[in-house]
Amino acid sequence: MGLAAGALAAGLFATSAASAAEPKLLVFVHAAVKQRALEGELRQALPGISVTAVGRIADFDRALAQGQDAVLALPVVLSARGLQPKMRGQRKGSGSESYALVGADAVPDPARVATVGALDLLGREGTNGFVQTLLGRSLKVERVTKVEDLLPLLQMGRVQAILLPSRLFSEIRTASRLNLLSRDIARGVELCALASTGPNAPPILSGVSRLPKALSATLGVDEWR
Amino acid sequence: MAMNRRGFLVAVPVLAAAGLACTPGAEKGAGFGYRELAKNQAASGRKETILVFMPDTTQTREVWSGMRDELGEEFNLVAVEVPGRGASTSIAEGMRRHRPSVVVLMNNPTVAGYRDYQLQARDRNFPPALIVMTSFLEGSSVGVSAASGISYEVPLITVVTNLRKLMTSTIDRVGVVARAPLTRFVQRQAALARREQITVDVEYVSANPNPSELKRALRQLKNRVGALWILNDDRLLTRNLIASAWLPALDERPWVPSIVGAASLVSAAQSFGTFAVLPDHAALGVQTANRIFDIADNDWRLPDGPQVELPLSTTTTVDLIQARERFALREDALAQVDRILK
Repeated sequence: MGLAAGALAAGLFATSAASAAEPKLLVFVHAAVKQRALEGELRQALPGISVTAVGRIADFDRALAQGQDAVLALPVVLSARGLQPKMRGQRKGSGSESYALVGADAVPDPARVATVGALDLLGREGTNGFVQTLLGRSLKVERVTKVEDLLPLLQMGRVQAILLPSRLFSEIRTASRLNLLSRDIARGVELCALASTGPNAPPILSGVSRLPKALSATLGVDEWR
Repeated sequence: MAMNRRGFLVAVPVLAAAGLACTPGAEKGAGFGYRELAKNQAASGRKETILVFMPDTTQTREVWSGMRDELGEEFNLVAVEVPGRGASTSIAEGMRRHRPSVVVLMNNPTVAGYRDYQLQARDRNFPPALIVMTSFLEGSSVGVSAASGISYEVPLITVVTNLRKLMTSTIDRVGVVARAPLTRFVQRQAALARREQITVDVEYVSANPNPSELKRALRQLKNRVGALWILNDDRLLTRNLIASAWLPALDERPWVPSIVGAASLVSAAQSFGTFAVLPDHAALGVQTANRIFDIADNDWRLPDGPQVELPLSTTTTVDLIQARERFALREDALAQVDRILK
């Protein structure tokens, strides 16, 4: 009994020590799948790496404060936290992607919309500033934490348009029978990037650079540089 | 561990809020059970206080946490426990101690307690009140002055949009069994759902239906609709009606996916709800915080416009055994659900 308990304790200790030594990756990227699914796919693709995917900026800040070896997020989020990208996502040969305004029954005019729904990337003030920079003017921003929450803003008439990466427009349109119309805006946004935040970042960089194409595409990326 | 029918029925009603753990630093005082569950001092140095009255449940804690994340930098936040309707004394004590700029009321008994407090108060100048986690708030008169809120029921339009992402079958017609008191609620939901080309087919039952009446209504509906939407109406979700009407009727062919609004109504052991679509409580806290920012920007008065909002963010749970056995799921369906029961 005593031996068995000792062996069990040793086993538990070994597991916990191994887990503590695993490189830690924190992911804060809005995708068209649930965070649970994104985290599961990343864990499967990155064996030996402890992956945490979060959907809210407050959760991101908490997890970051706990210590991570690498962080995957949009460069605008990384720079707001004083982090430098070590590896950047590319799409169709570019490091940035277009964003679109989407409205119901009419093509939204960036110069005239008064209320817009957007993903919460940087908290209230930061996200308001991000949207205003993209649209070039001040307006009321309704923030949501998930891609899927943008559509209800239009369904319920809470905003005149929603702002999102153009590549996600087809996802939104597939889920809805509203007459959704989009207009790309002039400014692009840099694609997600990986920042090193701890000593165990190298295996994470290596693993992310070799992610399956479909999983990278979920993150909006087709190549890592 | 699998849950048998008895276990499922014991776990069922459900519609009342469940438990919220006490946070460290809880404060007791005044000798009648006044208890502060949590307190947050604003980093901004601003003086305004948001006072949250809430029961001690997991769900209300999640809403609190979403609010605290959003508001904690700018405003003082205090959570006061309200265990039940008799708690207007706790509410009065909280109001006396903190003189809040806004109060948040979580759940029906808390709203009733605050209404009692307002009736008894000498000072008739009440701060704006935001009501959350309250059943059938939209269109109802809660009797609280200076109140607005976010309804707790996930709108049908959201429920069906979520369901369409999961099922291969076309879902255009949704059936609902309702009692007369909920007619206006169902009509409003149906009007909103029409925007997504969803038709709502309603079978009305009496105020206190017996199992035969309910079973008959369900059998008729199942032949006409692509999905059933089960309202969180406690008169229709008694143990007797679940055991003698819902479960047998839902188990019969033709099988129709059923969507419920309570997590405990989905179980891998019983074919009751195929899917549960529930408010995302942390996101509900963020939505509440956004309304508080609107009030603050409006000089601490309720802004004009609709006073009741619908919840924007949801979580989806699936009974995978039932769903796979009876219905065809889309290839990527499981990437679109938050919780899988199997």
